[in-house]
Amino acid sequence: MLQEAQVAAGGVSGADLVQVAKFLAAGLCMGIGSLGPGIGIGNVVAHALDSTARQPEMRGPLFSTMIIGCAFVETTAIYALLVSIILLFVAK
Amino acid sequence: MREQLGKLLEHLGQKEVATWHIGGFAIQVDPKTIVLSAIASILVLVLALFLRRALRQPIEEKPNRTQGALDIAMDLLDSQLLGNFSSPGFGARMLPFIGTLFLYVLASNWLSLLPGLEAPTADPNVTIGLALMVLVMAHYYLVRTKGLRGLGKEYFSPWWLSPIKILSELVARPLSHGFRLFGNVFAEFVLVTIFLAKLEPFVVPIGLRAIFGIGFGLIQAFVFTILTVAYINLAIEKH
Repeated sequence: MLQEAQVAAGGVSGADLVQVAKFLAAGLCMGIGSLGPGIGIGNVVAHALDSTARQPEMRGPLFSTMIIGCAFVETTAIYALLVSIILLFVAK
Repeated sequence: MREQLGKLLEHLGQKEVATWHIGGFAIQVDPKTIVLSAIASILVLVLALFLRRALRQPIEEKPNRTQGALDIAMDLLDSQLLGNFSSPGFGARMLPFIGTLFLYVLASNWLSLLPGLEAPTADPNVTIGLALMVLVMAHYYLVRTKGLRGLGKEYFSPWWLSPIKILSELVARPLSHGFRLFGNVFAEFVLVTIFLAKLEPFVVPIGLRAIFGIGFGLIQAFVFTILTVAYINLAIEKH
């Protein structure tokens, strides 16, 4: 078993390692990068719902403002997506 | 079908690019994206021509069904998008631009519902182009409402803040604006492709198409347009 593993490891070249590192980095980048925006959008929507429950007649303006806020919070996740797309498709 | 989709997955990030050499410059274009965006424009045009035919009726008659549907759509557009401008008069003046942008992005997103077609907004060049157009429009209205002095004040008011302002408003803003639309549409495309390739393409694709194609396409078009409204509104706002 150990010998088999050693033989398998012998066939791994530098290019394969780079590929592995690219995939790992892209996955980690997207995963960690969307943590913050996830929490942020949760906060935004929670407070918008709170306000709507308190003042149902303000629903329309609150909804538009919420969407704008969500979009701004999302921006960091978009940058993470940009980085992982560059890692996957552009980086050699 | 499956092999085809598998091949599509393999070549996901790659594009077929046509290159023209004009003078010393090499112009690279993706013909597929251009054709798809032209189809989206034609769809919007067909909608406009259809509405022109359907709405042609004497003013004394009671409004027909198309008129009612259009009234509801215009009310929604007015209250949800144009109502976010600080002055109602300016909102009414921006209706052609904002409405066209919304309809074009919506048509582009919904193109992926048609068999054999993809959404042109799944190409970053299209979305970044739209975002740059919005950037230019925002600066045009900034200069028109506040003058060149206002433009200088916007960027160089505290001089030590100007590098950050230039970076965030001229580079990061169109980039995030365009990539938001691209990222969402592209992610939807990848998800649907993977589901189609890996699962039996019988029941699942219908639901996926309904949720992702129609719902997300509408939401993303709305988000893109409402951000446009917010950016232009920031530019014309008096401090």
